[in-house]
Amino acid sequence: MIFRAVEDGDLIRQATRGNVEAFNLLVSRWEKRVYNYLLRLTANREDALDLTQDVFLKAYQNLRKLDDAARFAPWLYRIAHNEAYSMFRKRRPESDVADLPPAATETGIAVGGSPVFPIELSLAVASALERLTPEQREAVTLKIYQGFKFEEMAEILSCPVSTIKSRLYTALELLKIELAPIEARGVS
Amino acid sequence: MSCSPFDLKDYFFDELDGAGRKQVEAHVTGCRACREELSRLRLTGTTLLSLREEEIPRRIAFVSDPVFEPSAWRRWWSAFWNTPARLGFGSAALLSAALVVFALVRPAPVQLVRQVQVPAVQTAQTAPAVSDAAIQARIDQAADRAVTARTQQLVAEVAAERQKLLTVAAELEVDNSRQHALYMTASQYGPPRQPAMEAK
Repeated sequence: MIFRAVEDGDLIRQATRGNVEAFNLLVSRWEKRVYNYLLRLTANREDALDLTQDVFLKAYQNLRKLDDAARFAPWLYRIAHNEAYSMFRKRRPESDVADLPPAATETGIAVGGSPVFPIELSLAVASALERLTPEQREAVTLKIYQGFKFEEMAEILSCPVSTIKSRLYTALELLKIELAPIEARGVS
Repeated sequence: MSCSPFDLKDYFFDELDGAGRKQVEAHVTGCRACREELSRLRLTGTTLLSLREEEIPRRIAFVSDPVFEPSAWRRWWSAFWNTPARLGFGSAALLSAALVVFALVRPAPVQLVRQVQVPAVQTAQTAPAVSDAAIQARIDQAADRAVTARTQQLVAEVAAERQKLLTVAAELEVDNSRQHALYMTASQYGPPRQPAMEAK
């Protein structure tokens, strides 16, 4: 008997044929990553959870439009990006989305005023990320925390690779400055 | 400003190919400024990764409700039309079916041609059914007719030759008679007796 890891492509094919359990397995593999990506964008757990559910519902409804199963991750994150910015527009319809800061506090990501990350280092990082523009923060999230390549990021954000690199490198310079005092005290 | 052959940030983000990575690593070994810059990037990356991912508060799962599920036919139809390969196969099958229908339902003139051809085929196919005796009888009859005709032709030719020979013989006999008469006349030293010759 030969055992083989069930890959995303297999699950996508089965889900396309109407196998809901296969799609649930696919969701279980990706929900944590998508949730954390949306949490970085929105800085709100409830919003991130609601958006994550919407993302997977849309993914299920449009799974047949996915031509290449190998491009599932960028395709899924593209949906997540669109859902997040759609929510931003609904809440601030007359504002420029680029100017919309996430609902964060001085102590980092918070729900109902309670700090999410009590550790000083995590707070410093969260605070530094908040000082970035939404585009820079999203670029850092996709690259540092989600591990996408530049081309995949360009696909998710619908912009050229040069723009992605510009945002990311500028953000990295800012983060170096912001985190320098913390780093000087020692990071394990 | 970095003096590295490639951007150190590209190296840090693992966006260089193998050769580019080796060049940067070789450069960083001998360049203190770039080595320190790369160390700062790595330290910043490590600091950023200290912000751990959170567990999702509530797991997401979809329930298959038969009420909202599309029927098997609709799923098949949707899958069929959403797959280019299947659509191509369907088009080919439709074209094949059209060709078969066209072949079965042909216009009237084509049927006439077929009707004309059928007897010829039947004749050719039924020819071996004639008995060998009949064929042999026909061959014999044809041979007899040929032999008879040839015999009649030969008889006629022989008769013609015989008639020619008779004519030649008669002429020779006349010549002999003339020579004989001439000889007799010459031997008697007198003129030939013409009337006797004519009477003879």
